[in-house]
Amino acid sequence: MAQEPMWLTFIVAFIIMNVLLVGMAYTTWYERKVLAAMQDRLGPTRSGPHGLLQPLADAVKLLGKEDLIPAGADRVLFFFAPLVVFVAALVSVAVIPFGGTVQIGGRAVNLYATDLNVGALFVLAIGSAGVYGIIVGAWASANRYSLLGGLRAAAQVISYELVLGLSLVGIFIITGSLSLREIMEQQQRSIEIGPLHISNWFILSQPLAFVLFLIAAVAETNRAPFDLPEAETELVSGFHTEYSAFRFSFYFLGEYINMLVVSLFASTLFLGGPSGPGSEKYWGLGLVWLFIKVAVFMFFYIWLRATLPRFRFDQLMGVAWKVLLPLALLNIVITAFIRLIANGQIF
Amino acid sequence: MPWDLIFFYIIGAISVLAALGMVASPNPIHSGILLVVCFLNVAGIFVMLGAEFLAIVQVIVYTGAILVLLLFVLMLVDPHELPSFYLAQPLQRGVGVLLGLILLLEIGAAIVTQTQFGPKGNATPANIAAMGGNVQALGSVLQTNYLLAFEVVSLVLITGIIGAIVLAVPERLGQRIGTLRSTISLGHPRGLDHPAALMAGPRNETPIVTKERKAPEPAAVRRLVMAKDPDDFTSV
Repeated sequence: MAQEPMWLTFIVAFIIMNVLLVGMAYTTWYERKVLAAMQDRLGPTRSGPHGLLQPLADAVKLLGKEDLIPAGADRVLFFFAPLVVFVAALVSVAVIPFGGTVQIGGRAVNLYATDLNVGALFVLAIGSAGVYGIIVGAWASANRYSLLGGLRAAAQVISYELVLGLSLVGIFIITGSLSLREIMEQQQRSIEIGPLHISNWFILSQPLAFVLFLIAAVAETNRAPFDLPEAETELVSGFHTEYSAFRFSFYFLGEYINMLVVSLFASTLFLGGPSGPGSEKYWGLGLVWLFIKVAVFMFFYIWLRATLPRFRFDQLMGVAWKVLLPLALLNIVITAFIRLIANGQIF
Repeated sequence: MPWDLIFFYIIGAISVLAALGMVASPNPIHSGILLVVCFLNVAGIFVMLGAEFLAIVQVIVYTGAILVLLLFVLMLVDPHELPSFYLAQPLQRGVGVLLGLILLLEIGAAIVTQTQFGPKGNATPANIAAMGGNVQALGSVLQTNYLLAFEVVSLVLITGIIGAIVLAVPERLGQRIGTLRSTISLGHPRGLDHPAALMAGPRNETPIVTKERKAPEPAAVRRLVMAKDPDDFTSV
């Protein structure tokens, strides 16, 4: 890893954060367009060509709304809770690599904010800290629907976090590292079978872990069909019932940034991050590949929302503890055995 | 002044203030949230000391799981029904002070031995870096030198989990299913319409069935056909 001056790291981090925020705004546009296409509608068309300025109009609308605080609310916690969700969502992108070390203007630049040697766990840890924004905000609202939504969020996130973490253990066994940069670099080698050169993406060696990760990630970001904390048919709108205006938009922003971060995380872990044809020569092409992978994951999220009905809460917990968790453990055992056999330590 | 020292003072001050606030706050939920703040800042101090793995584990296990469950329970309880911590018995206070002093002594002893004799064994920063980092070093030590202790701890944890399940199941499962299956209405979970329940007499609640009313003939007792057993809903 090339050591770079601190100001350069700050610039890279600044760019990553802003790209993420703009990407978030256009994720809402993307979601509305894809949902509309699936439901045979047009979606936003009025503001700008193809409704491209709609996110801007939404932001102005949210800023202009009245900011309401319920009479019985705990004002300090009510104020801080949405910020926790928003900040936690943004922080975890710091460890995600957008490429290796590249030369820009004769200077070595790392295309990531930091390379923590426990990067993969860092994303999980920040995700688990982010749930405080939901449960604290729910409690501070002094509303029963909110509280129920918050409690559901707590139970759901704890259960699915286990599955999320355990599904990654197979990758850690293969790579022998928790650093996301190292995991990304190991996937850039290719497997050669005769004339074929196949990228060593972990989706090929860990297909079960990939499926488990996808399911758990949807639950972890509280998206349909696992959006029980904000199930409007039962709980008005769950934990953010009492939130309005810009405070509400922080929850909204946090959810979409979380989706983007989880998509980036999944691309890095299972799809080789920026790896793809030509990405070894031109790092810009790697960014395009990464963008395409993230767009595919986001499409998958929206597809789920458009097709699947919401789970019942006991089904949700049952799936996590009785199906996904044993499968994740099975995956670990199998991967560990294959690793031992490959190392020649047994048999 | 170097930057890391400034950051240390900021993080340290926040964690001490949060810990004080946790003890002093009259609202248990505020105490819980201040404990979260304290733990997150302590994790920050761990990162500054080069112990990233310890920091991450602290966040995942303590703030991400244990404190969430603690807040979960506190939020379901009416704060006015909780016992006040300020009216503790003298004995409780004495034990609390004693335990606090013992903990303080232990930490002091750890600091003194660390500064006087250096780290135990060959766990110097250079050796750890040669092994590839904290995670690798910790993992290899846990799986070799401390394997027995590691396995004993997992046994204790699994005993705790099973114990919690045993305590949480209110009655024998078979008995409960039997009661439900032989009842006409699910609104009477103990089966007050059932002959066996009538023979046993009233339990804790006011009986709906008066003594004059005769038990229905066995032939008239219908099997439950209109609703499923609640356990059928919970299976996946």
